[in-house]
Amino acid sequence: MKYTIYTILLLLAVTTLHAQEIQNDSLTYKKRVLETTEVDFLMSYYAQDGTHAAVTGGNGTEELTDITPTFVVAVPLNDDDVLTVDAGISAYTSASSSNIDPFDSDSPADPFQASSGASQSDTWANLNVNYTHSSDDRNTVWSGHLNVASEYDYFSLGFGGSYTRLFNQKNTELGIKANIYLDTWNPQYPIEFRQGFSRPDIVGTGTYSNSFTEFQDEGRNTYSLSLSFSQIFSKNAQASVFLDLVKQDGLLSTPHQRVYFADVADFFVQNFQLGDDVEKLPDTRFKIPVGARFNYFLNENLALRTYYRYYFDDWGISAHTLNIEVPIKLASGKFTFYPTYRYYTQTAADYFAPFETHVSSSEFYTSDYDLSKFDSHQYGVGFKYYDLFTKLKVFKFGLKTLDLRFNHYTRSDGLSANIISAGFKFVLD
Amino acid sequence: MNYIKIILIGCCIATFTSCVAVKEYEKINLNDPDMKLSANSVERFETNFQIYREAASGANGGKTGGGCGCN
Repeated sequence: MKYTIYTILLLLAVTTLHAQEIQNDSLTYKKRVLETTEVDFLMSYYAQDGTHAAVTGGNGTEELTDITPTFVVAVPLNDDDVLTVDAGISAYTSASSSNIDPFDSDSPADPFQASSGASQSDTWANLNVNYTHSSDDRNTVWSGHLNVASEYDYFSLGFGGSYTRLFNQKNTELGIKANIYLDTWNPQYPIEFRQGFSRPDIVGTGTYSNSFTEFQDEGRNTYSLSLSFSQIFSKNAQASVFLDLVKQDGLLSTPHQRVYFADVADFFVQNFQLGDDVEKLPDTRFKIPVGARFNYFLNENLALRTYYRYYFDDWGISAHTLNIEVPIKLASGKFTFYPTYRYYTQTAADYFAPFETHVSSSEFYTSDYDLSKFDSHQYGVGFKYYDLFTKLKVFKFGLKTLDLRFNHYTRSDGLSANIISAGFKFVLD
Repeated sequence: MNYIKIILIGCCIATFTSCVAVKEYEKINLNDPDMKLSANSVERFETNFQIYREAASGANGGKTGGGCGCN
């Protein structure tokens, strides 16, 4: 009975949309999708610290800094088509990654001290090319994209496409998007697991040995299907709902993250405990996030932006995310100040246990606190500047918007982070 | 299953509500940049660190996983 009612409701909804679409066919006003070339320069500085580094089995410094300059160039090819190129790098220095090999510096090895070897820093480079086509009535948009990303131990090739349909005088929007990422690890195993490792200063009872074997499959594939639905409710309110279905397979463990077993003897070199194995996680994962946005225009000076997401996967993790942002317009809308707050909570993965508490007979294990139970708070402020007349010029480009944000993030396991982001949008005169 | 029901009913309610459509010339408030139904462009950096530091990702019109050694 219940299913019959749902079916009738759905049929009515589809019929209503179809009728509205027919009604709207007469509206054929065509506006150029993108008037002129736009260039976005985006940048962020991120710094974090904590005491649960996954590289050292959940016990060690998580100090990390990251700088990410990015250019996004959108070029109108004609009235209907836009080509967007998004290129960026992320240069990071990580104390925990440096402890993949903690013995390559002059100071004593210690999980709470950064080592100075090659693994302490890396650069991630990313290039994304997107092509978008809009129909003459602007009620249909399709796009395709190609993505390449590379860093020392990881390479990714991604591609996908999307289709969006607008109905009901562009009050209703339905979208479908599919993405595939074919990624490959170049595993950098902890130094004690590599062939030929030996040291005369190993301290412990008996002879050091470990359970480690190299991963055979170094590929990681991600397939995602995203559905979206947006609706205008009134002159001041609109909302959207998103549903993603994400399937991953391959090497889902991170090959340089150590695990220490409770039932295996401990061995040390200086202040550093030698690993018993690297984390082992299942080779498949299915994730379902469902999210919704609701925005309300309160008055000329105030708006409300909200976002909620529920997430669950087959590793036993479920999570809730709530985000709220209140843009406050100043100086007749030329400036916007916006405080933001984000709350996040998750349950632990079935395979997580803290430092030195796993047992060696388990099939899967990790001490990565990113997969532990925790909640987090993120407080921030942002500042936007709009100049419709683009008075400030850089060569032939005029500055249209400037966006600055600062956010402070704290996690209940002690991790904290700060991030400063800036975005400059220029348009070609 | 409950979530699917809620989404389905929500979509139906939204569709029927939409019978009274807001006209293009009435969308001045909705077209305000602060009313966009997507994340701000500079928010991408926060989303990036969150998908490393948290297990959940996706359902925000952006990245769903893949393309990085993240969660």
